[in-house]
Amino acid sequence: MITMSEKTKPDEAEVGPNADPVEQIPDWLGGRLRRMFAEMMDEPVPDEFMALLKQLEEKERGS
Amino acid sequence: MSQDRFLDQVTALLPALRAFGRSLCGDPARADDLVQDTVLKAWTNRDQFQSGSNLKAWLFTILRNCYYSELRHRKFEVEDPDGVCASQVAIAPDHDAKLHLRDLNRALQQLPVDQREALILVCATGLSYEEAADVCQVAVGTIKSRIARARDRLVDLLGEDAARGVTGSIPVAEADEPAQRIGTS
Repeated sequence: MITMSEKTKPDEAEVGPNADPVEQIPDWLGGRLRRMFAEMMDEPVPDEFMALLKQLEEKERGS
Repeated sequence: MSQDRFLDQVTALLPALRAFGRSLCGDPARADDLVQDTVLKAWTNRDQFQSGSNLKAWLFTILRNCYYSELRHRKFEVEDPDGVCASQVAIAPDHDAKLHLRDLNRALQQLPVDQREALILVCATGLSYEEAADVCQVAVGTIKSRIARARDRLVDLLGEDAARGVTGSIPVAEADEPAQRIGTS
């Protein structure tokens, strides 16, 4: 009887333990993925976040 | 970990959190709401974070849980068939590189979210397979399978566009590149 992890969907056959799908990503695609993520990370963080963190910090110090 | 140090580290990880959130939902404003929820939950539950473990993976897990929780509340996922939201993620396409990234963003949003998150976590954020599996609460093999499916689908989507010249944004020379391999470093 074939059993399947409850965490795995029926159409998700697990790949072998030694397979490395990231190594099989073409350079052009891997480069674009990293570039896209890096560009998003380079965007300035809105002031609201810094205000929120400052608020949490003050709350902690005040308690 | 002292509270100040915890906050310092959370602050340092905000850009990565925002980028992961955007990759998940494709909507910058919604992503920022998710990040805000994540920061508040992380702060509330900071005692549960084990010092020395991976704070980035812990925060990604919280953000992912926030995202799926929001989806459950909505009972449906907002579709973005025209890539309207996704197109907002990239900066205005003023040259080829930007067009490439916009196309990639749109293609990413066409993937099932479980494949998208696996691909982003390992290939863009730099988490290991094991860390990504922890974040997504699945087996390592499942993460690998999802990445393989995402990879094949993106190559199909972006390769087809390049071959048809639909967007004109993927140079033929690049589209014709042999499938070279990359490392995970």
